[in-house]
Amino acid sequence: MRKPMIENSESRLRQGVERANSAGASAAKLSLGHSESTHCSFERGRLKETGSSESLSYNVEVLVDGRCGTSSGNRIEKLDEMIDRAIVLAKVGSTAHFNAYPPPGALTPVKTHSERTLGLARERMIESCGQMVEALREYDPDLFISATGSRNESEDITVTTGGVCHQASRTAWSLSSHVQRTKGTDILFAGYGRGWCDLNEFYAPSVIAGRVLVDLRNAEKTVEPPTGKVKAYIPPEQLPAFLMPFMAGINGRNVAKGDSPLAGRLGEQVLAKSITIVDHPHVDYASGACEIDSDGIPTRKQTLFENGVLRRFLYDLDTAGLAGAEPTGNSGCYPYWLLVTPGVRPSSELLADIDDGIYIKALIGYGQGNIINGDFSCNVGLGYRIHNGEITGRIKDTMIAGNLYDLFAENVELSSDLDHAGRMPHAVIEGLSVASRSA
Amino acid sequence: MKARLLKALQKSTADYAEIRVETEDSSVIAYRGREVETAGTSSVRGGIVRACTRGGWGMVTFDSLAQLGEQVKEACACAKLVGEEKTELAEVEPVDAEKPVTLEHDFRGVSLDDKLALLKAYNDIILGAAPSIESSSVGYGDSFRTVYFASTRGNYFMEQRPRVTCRFMAVARDGALVQRAYDGISSTTTYDAVLGMEDKVRETAERADALLRAPKCEGGTYSVILDPELAGVFVHEAFGHLSEADLVYENAQMRELMCLGREVGVAGLNVIDDGSLGNYTGTGAFDDEGTPTGETYLIRGGALAGHLHSLETAAKMGAKPTGNARAIGRSVPPICRMTNTYVTNGDIPVGELFAGVDRGVYACDAFGGQTALEMFTFSAGYGYRIENGQRGELLRDVTLTGNVFQTLKSIDGIGNDLVISKRGGGCGKGGQSPLPVSVGSPHLRIRDVVIGGG
Ligand SMILES: [Zn+2]
Repeated sequence: MRKPMIENSESRLRQGVERANSAGASAAKLSLGHSESTHCSFERGRLKETGSSESLSYNVEVLVDGRCGTSSGNRIEKLDEMIDRAIVLAKVGSTAHFNAYPPPGALTPVKTHSERTLGLARERMIESCGQMVEALREYDPDLFISATGSRNESEDITVTTGGVCHQASRTAWSLSSHVQRTKGTDILFAGYGRGWCDLNEFYAPSVIAGRVLVDLRNAEKTVEPPTGKVKAYIPPEQLPAFLMPFMAGINGRNVAKGDSPLAGRLGEQVLAKSITIVDHPHVDYASGACEIDSDGIPTRKQTLFENGVLRRFLYDLDTAGLAGAEPTGNSGCYPYWLLVTPGVRPSSELLADIDDGIYIKALIGYGQGNIINGDFSCNVGLGYRIHNGEITGRIKDTMIAGNLYDLFAENVELSSDLDHAGRMPHAVIEGLSVASRSA
Repeated sequence: MKARLLKALQKSTADYAEIRVETEDSSVIAYRGREVETAGTSSVRGGIVRACTRGGWGMVTFDSLAQLGEQVKEACACAKLVGEEKTELAEVEPVDAEKPVTLEHDFRGVSLDDKLALLKAYNDIILGAAPSIESSSVGYGDSFRTVYFASTRGNYFMEQRPRVTCRFMAVARDGALVQRAYDGISSTTTYDAVLGMEDKVRETAERADALLRAPKCEGGTYSVILDPELAGVFVHEAFGHLSEADLVYENAQMRELMCLGREVGVAGLNVIDDGSLGNYTGTGAFDDEGTPTGETYLIRGGALAGHLHSLETAAKMGAKPTGNARAIGRSVPPICRMTNTYVTNGDIPVGELFAGVDRGVYACDAFGGQTALEMFTFSAGYGYRIENGQRGELLRDVTLTGNVFQTLKSIDGIGNDLVISKRGGGCGKGGQSPLPVSVGSPHLRIRDVVIGGG
């Protein structure tokens, strides 16, 4: 990484802000990011491609007469031109609901850059992918196996007319493996991957491949799904998808624009008492870790739902102005890093308690339709039947539907154990409607 | 640019290398509710070097063109690290072409004020269409993309790919019930395509309002008639992606599943992908490996007839390249993709299709779809009950699901009213989304389709 490039850019961005000011902008915000990454990928069980990438990008936001214009580009020599274009656009631009970018606030430091991650060589990623491929091939030589690894380093700088000048650097790695098993017209997909900013013990090729192997074993046999209203067992990696409507519901933009069913319901019991959800941008090395939002406002740890009671809507600067609320430091009104508070009993006990239900590992077609209202209807991409507390086999051609606000309103049990990153528990919900094509 | 790219490629030590450089200037203006939500513009340039040695690929992406030669060398070094087999890339006719375009009415010459006035008019129509209309979204976007390509085979092309799009959505609410309706248009030839859509905009808003009073479609198995828009999306999503040869060529089981000649549908079923067809969103002169686009039968007479190829998949499957190696942008490699994909006309008038259904669902328009090879799920924008061959009441929440091979075999009627959608779709694959594509079909009647109930 050529560190000096970003340092030069600071003065370039300051000049840009001045240019915007003198061209009639009452406020301006410029940000610039530079990133370099290297990756490798295995297809059909052998190394297929490796390479590197470098990218630069900048974003300009200006306020002119209470209206906002934006522009972006990747040629630094065109920065002045793009600032001018943003100013022209601002004349027809969106009505801004703020007058100025706020002054610098007190930041909570969080680690996002790791020397160990920088030391992750391409050769080691290739070796790790090879190791995962080998483990999977040993189980079944006919599998179509793919694996990928990547390492990334980036630096970002944001300068605003509020006086904020903030630099952040970040490293990240990712490692994953996927398999496809085809028997006639029957196709099974399974996969698992991890990523983190620091190269810690999460980087574990044998564990990642092991998770895929568990799915392959569980899916050896196909069984009929239960139908009607059943219990569903949701693993940590699927839980965020089920929480999606609630995150759309607390998005301040959706609240202010009348799209959220949670508008006006702060302090009400919306979800089951077992559910506490916190947005925590200050977990060191987490993928969502972040000190300031894109407007230069410090991020903060916030409880969104406390024992099922709605506690917080998320607002960026502009939306806060629109809603007459305080900004919460959430760019785009999105959370950064959700943590769900664990329950009392281990996931093994939750599973053992299910007489008849389904275990949902992957969904197809989820998130279409009226998801903000909680309504969903989709296929189970990979799932198992649970009978008398045991996984009895894979279910196919199975459709699930329901309203997530109803399904998560009561009778939700969360496990005491969380995923490797300490984010999400297993969850058991009741009354999920299941239909089968063969039924 | 030609000389510059070919000079940089002289540094290649690989079996094959190519450089693709793109510039793209785009702008977007969008209303949400009463206010302008976004006004932005972007100008980017960059590219990718791909090199292949002994069958292994090295790829380097860049934003600055200052060190092209070095980037070619690095991509070649990466490829060398990977390759242990044989480089197999199909030969195509040499290409040396420049394809500038002249727009009938160039969107780059239209003033911001005019664009804004147009959007405001559409937005006002939506907001005033019914008391239940709570919010709206009207978005305009244009993009002028120029692609430069050169390879160590001496091939070179430059192609300009302009596109203008207008999309609109109405949101209607009754208490906790929210319904949306969408429509839009896309053109590669003229700004005027986005003009004069007042009636369409009004219909869309009125539909969102009417859906509030429509009952949910009860879950169950139905005879279903798909309108051309939804049928086109169905064929693209559920079947088309399986024809993409990069999913097939190295996978023995998939090759068997998708082997040419296999009967997958009724005798009258033909599905074609054609990147050279007219002026649709998926149309272009070359794919992103320099192969000219053309017509490929995917299904002919109910049997599998072809795959969509890149140079590599064509060579490895002993087929001719079809011009379907497409990349969504400057920093990603081309992968096998569809262009304009459609079902050809059958011979049944639409009225007769309906007459054959005692109790069923007429499913219209697509909100979106997703597949995992054999399984698909997608949501219709709206639907109608069919009773005794007659179109009945409006239905909401119509979600179709099933196994694509069973479903294709269950098609028992193909209409004679082919429509290729002007809406312009965005296709997603391998993290590359939205790639411009078009879909088309006549009305299709399908037996025993599972519709999910809420
Ligand atoms: Zn697609």
